[in-house]
Amino acid sequence: MLLTVASTSLRELARRRVALLFVFLLPCVFYWARIDVSWQAVRFLAIGVGWAVATLSLFSHVGARRLDQRLSVIGASPTALFFGRQLALLGIGVIMAGVYFVLVAATQDGLARLPAVFLLLLTTVLISAPLGALVSLVITRELEGALALLSIMALQLLVDPDGSAAKLLPLWSTRELSAYAIQTPAADSLPSGLFHFALTLTLCVAIAWFASALRLRPVSLSPIRPDTPH
Amino acid sequence: MTPEEEWGTQLLKHLTSTGIALAEARELAGDALAEAAAAGIDPRAMYGPAVAYASTVAQAVRSATATAAPLSRTRGPVVLRLHGVSKRYRRRRVLKNVHLSLRAGEVAAIVGANGSGKSTLLNICAGLTRATSGVVERTARVGYAPQQDGVAPLLTPEEHFRLFGAVHRMGRKKAAAIGTGLASRLGWRPREGVVVAHLSGGTQQKLNVVLSELNRPELILLDEPYQGFDQGSYVDFWDQVFRWRDGGAGILVVTHMLHDLDRVDHVLELQPVEEP
Repeated sequence: MLLTVASTSLRELARRRVALLFVFLLPCVFYWARIDVSWQAVRFLAIGVGWAVATLSLFSHVGARRLDQRLSVIGASPTALFFGRQLALLGIGVIMAGVYFVLVAATQDGLARLPAVFLLLLTTVLISAPLGALVSLVITRELEGALALLSIMALQLLVDPDGSAAKLLPLWSTRELSAYAIQTPAADSLPSGLFHFALTLTLCVAIAWFASALRLRPVSLSPIRPDTPH
Repeated sequence: MTPEEEWGTQLLKHLTSTGIALAEARELAGDALAEAAAAGIDPRAMYGPAVAYASTVAQAVRSATATAAPLSRTRGPVVLRLHGVSKRYRRRRVLKNVHLSLRAGEVAAIVGANGSGKSTLLNICAGLTRATSGVVERTARVGYAPQQDGVAPLLTPEEHFRLFGAVHRMGRKKAAAIGTGLASRLGWRPREGVVVAHLSGGTQQKLNVVLSELNRPELILLDEPYQGFDQGSYVDFWDQVFRWRDGGAGILVVTHMLHDLDRVDHVLELQPVEEP
């Protein structure tokens, strides 16, 4: 069931060609806008990838809600529906991370730790897919959800990364891992970045999964009792 | 190609698109051309446009199949029981004290004006909405066709069959074969690679109905699923409902079409609840 949901979701997403084009273009625009300052370019690129994947996830989950409700009525597992859609989104996200890693490798010469760029893009994708799902479950309309994601990502770009409030934002780990990838000598931000990533990922997946299961699970109805006296 | 042959080709094409098997369609088209030739009349003048004649013939073929060997109708155990079901949204009462007992092999129709709570009641039976009070007892094996948004616009019918079939642990080939077979009973043959968004509204609803029956459920819940059907498809739909009934399923259908109510076993008329 999980793989069938994942493969049909992937086909569905692949047919939204214009949306996918913009999903791929968004990080590119962020990257080229800061291409002259390499650390900023990489950080903006990662935020762009995160924003694009989270938005795709939001629209995918909102768009599938009625169909998923119908499937759960006839016995589909809400867990399989949630993780199947997430798997499809992660597939697209990982492709995007790979494409942009190649772009960075081809256009940036002075990066201290190039493989860490793929790590930060990958962690950003892994957080953004469940983040979009989480927003779609809290804010059930597409426009309002997209605006909420815009606010989160704008904060992510504008807030002082050294302030304590910045650690409450979902992609703080992206900033830490980008520092590790770029700075010479190495910043000691790898452990803190990975810890923040693991914590945020766990929270996003757990809450989105729980909320999704709660929303999709049909009301428990009594089985038929023979000649029930009322 | 002569105009008569062109008409015959068109007839064959339209017959197969309504779900009739190619061999049978060839035979029907051949018969039509032979009869016109024997009468010495142009088939276009004798039968009218090929598309209209194909629709009439397909309808007749399906009706004949449906009534050729009717199953003996038996009423089985209760598949849905509602006792004193009420629903309130905040201060607004939508349903009040609804009772119904539906057995396998029976059809129940829910009728009522707009806003009388028909869809709410169906959602309660489906388990999508919780009743404020009362008892709902229901069999676990259920099929459900919502009024709208029951299909994904960017998936093909075959992908829908595969997805819904996976819920019931069917292989992709089996799900596609069953789905295509059920579609043909509604006068529709799914074309490969065409996504739902490119189908007409009526054909989308046919897919909606087919998906509700894919697992041969004991209870089928239908929320006005015939919107967008033409007259022939509408007749096919009710034929299909009674075939399900004769096959031993219980059917609960929300409808506005009062002229079909003399054929159903239960009519549950809902009135908008007036607050004091």
